[in-house]
Amino acid sequence: MSASTGLATRSLRNIRRLPSAFIPALLMPVFQVVSFSGTYAGVTQMPGFPTDRSVNWYLPMAVTMGASFAGLGTGFSMIRDLQTGFYDRLRMAPTTRRQLLLGPYLAAWARALIAVVLVTLVGLALGARPVGSGLGMFGLVLAGVGMATIGTGWGLGLAYRFKDMRAAAIMQLTLFLGLFLTDAQTPIEVMQGWLQTVARWNPLTRVLHVARMGFIDGLGGRDLLIGTLVMAGLAGITWMFALSGLSSLDD
Amino acid sequence: MTAVAIGRREQLIALSWRSVLSIVRQPSVVVPSLVFPLFFVALGTSSFGRAVNIPGFPVVDSFLDFALAGSVVQGVLFGSVTSATALATDIETGFFDRLLATPSTRAGILVGRLAGAMAYGLAQTLFFTLVLFPFGLSIKSGPIGLLAMMIGGLLTALAVGSVMSTMAIRTGSSEAVQGSFPLIFILLFFSSAFFPRQTMSGVYRYIANVNPISYLVEGFRSLTIESLTLQAVAQTILIPALIAVGGLALSLRSLRRRLAAS
Amino acid sequence: MPPQSSNAPIVARNLVRTFGSGERLIRAVDGVDLEVAAGEVFGFLGPNGAGKSTTVRMLTTLLRPTSGSATVAGFDIVSEADSVRRSIGVALQDAAIDPLMTGMELLKLQAVLYGIARGEQHQRAGDLLERVGLSAAADRRVGTYSGGMRRRLDLALALIHEPTVLFLDEPTTGLDPMSRLALWDEIRRLNNDGTTVLLTTQYLEEADQLADRVAIIDNGRIVRDGRPDELKSEVGAPTLLITVAEHATSAAETVLAQFGESRPTAEGTLGVGLRDGAGEVSAVVRALDALGINVEHLELRAPSLDDVFAEATGHRLEGAS
Repeated sequence: MSASTGLATRSLRNIRRLPSAFIPALLMPVFQVVSFSGTYAGVTQMPGFPTDRSVNWYLPMAVTMGASFAGLGTGFSMIRDLQTGFYDRLRMAPTTRRQLLLGPYLAAWARALIAVVLVTLVGLALGARPVGSGLGMFGLVLAGVGMATIGTGWGLGLAYRFKDMRAAAIMQLTLFLGLFLTDAQTPIEVMQGWLQTVARWNPLTRVLHVARMGFIDGLGGRDLLIGTLVMAGLAGITWMFALSGLSSLDD
Repeated sequence: MTAVAIGRREQLIALSWRSVLSIVRQPSVVVPSLVFPLFFVALGTSSFGRAVNIPGFPVVDSFLDFALAGSVVQGVLFGSVTSATALATDIETGFFDRLLATPSTRAGILVGRLAGAMAYGLAQTLFFTLVLFPFGLSIKSGPIGLLAMMIGGLLTALAVGSVMSTMAIRTGSSEAVQGSFPLIFILLFFSSAFFPRQTMSGVYRYIANVNPISYLVEGFRSLTIESLTLQAVAQTILIPALIAVGGLALSLRSLRRRLAAS
Repeated sequence: MPPQSSNAPIVARNLVRTFGSGERLIRAVDGVDLEVAAGEVFGFLGPNGAGKSTTVRMLTTLLRPTSGSATVAGFDIVSEADSVRRSIGVALQDAAIDPLMTGMELLKLQAVLYGIARGEQHQRAGDLLERVGLSAAADRRVGTYSGGMRRRLDLALALIHEPTVLFLDEPTTGLDPMSRLALWDEIRRLNNDGTTVLLTTQYLEEADQLADRVAIIDNGRIVRDGRPDELKSEVGAPTLLITVAEHATSAAETVLAQFGESRPTAEGTLGVGLRDGAGEVSAVVRALDALGINVEHLELRAPSLDDVFAEATGHRLEGAS
């Protein structure tokens, strides 16, 4: 077992021992897919809406959101470890700083997969139906893992810098806003006004498109490519953000 | 409102003022109760602007007009959960017991504690309306309608505050009160607060039809998108008033039990 | 450039650490020189905020020095941090451990982090639990441990990779006397096995009992260092402590000044270092009596580390008896 899997094991074990820290993050996307699909059932009647099932539109959004918050969950745990001083112990271990970071990432991926599977099952039960190629699950998992990676880097980086609950508020708020300032609620072509511009330029819109690939007609290889590049880019940037945050703990 | 004996008015004012301060001094209250509702209005106006023409959507000038009612109720609900949390904290720290030891009426103490939330509810209603005016909001029922909405906002704060206070008094735990936050969210989402009931189907429509929040929001909404009617005014004021009466009765009863038990 | 020519396990040269900047600049550690010899127990003494923990955090690679340099186990704490980490064991203040994990799990995680071979992890963890007397609690969550148990687990964690240098940051703060004695025994045992120990403490008795050498730090600087008995004999004169009625305090001070230099004491008590030794006590009492000053309490103390501390810093150590 390497240092990072050791840390990931600990983190996953702690989910079971402190479920109150994990369950809300899991229930939120479930609530989202349930409520959005029903409350906004009528949106599919808007001219130009690309599906006649609202759940097909909102399931990928909820999955992406849930996976992102699974990533942020590691940021919350990090705040706890920093505040108890436990993290000092880990920092004194002769493991590379990369290994120290990789542990939470592994845990986040595992958490995200749980969220992706659960939310998807709920979505399917609510009537979501994959279209076309049958790549539905692939897009959901890819976007889920991607956002979990981005959320982890962002969450850890903020946790290392603020070291207290302020980081938790900032990471939640920014990711929440970032994901809603996209075509989360309606397609760009259907919107009016300012959000159209914002959503078009928001890179997270491209991530949502990857998640939607298997549930909305008209998305294809190009969207997959762009979305994957966006995720890789953001994952790289947030990894650097986390790594520099970790080394700033020595300052 | 319950009568407060003369001479105790000053005390009530002091308690109310304290509770107003406790609200506006917390960014964790101001953000969800002012910023979030406005953010969702802005988002909705852009996302759902074209939805106003789908079958079942009420006749409105814009989605903004439609959305005001939902954001007012959302803001007030979130704001008043906080004041009930503050009450639970008062109980936890023993401050509440000290108040009870003073010669004020029980109802006076309770209403005083909730007065901050009530004033805040009224202010929120005005605030949302004023902020959204420059973006094209119109209140079809005019100034009288707006006044009715502000009173409705105040009463809604009292209604939710008193119901949540019952929980605060029974559990004496601020965590339990705070923990009910998701419940409020669910209640709000499975209503017509954000989208018309008439466009929903199946179970969702059924829940929205029986959810009192739907009717509360629709009172505010009628005052925004239709001309002034007595029915809309009554809906906006009476629904929260009835809930408030029930909530106060419940919370006073819990208070009596708490006092009897201690 | 690293000026270390010494091969002592801990060497610090002009170590400085500041926090903040501009007007709010705090020099937490302000030019510390240290040299701890192999096999020594070195006591690092000082009140809260004197710079003890900051120095330890630098030596254990948790914090980068602002300037100056140090080597631990022969490795530079900045450029060879990883090698330092491999050589040292650290038990931190407050025994920060994850309350959700069991003692066994924590030790195994520590073993993984220190690259101990998979086959040996369980054995090693079990041995250490046994050694610190926690075998029975091995599978209980740490959150249920008492303060003393947590400290012992903390020590076990620090020993997982058999370090040659051990840092103990206030290892017994907050412990009951029994647990404290048990921990002292364990530290002595480790030292006898050849481990070099640097321990910080606010308890003078602890330093007196355990340390071969002590350094006193105050305001970020080392103000005294040496063997405890040497330091005590440097202070020389025993301290006479007297308590008199409040109105007579200043008159009493004048009298005491004839017998030696005044020494810092607790509130309401006067202290004087008797220039000519313990034999002068009766003279002091007679002098006070002659002025009609009633002595309420009188106590003579042989020089202690507390006196060394007081003489060096001008104030007494918090928590000192």
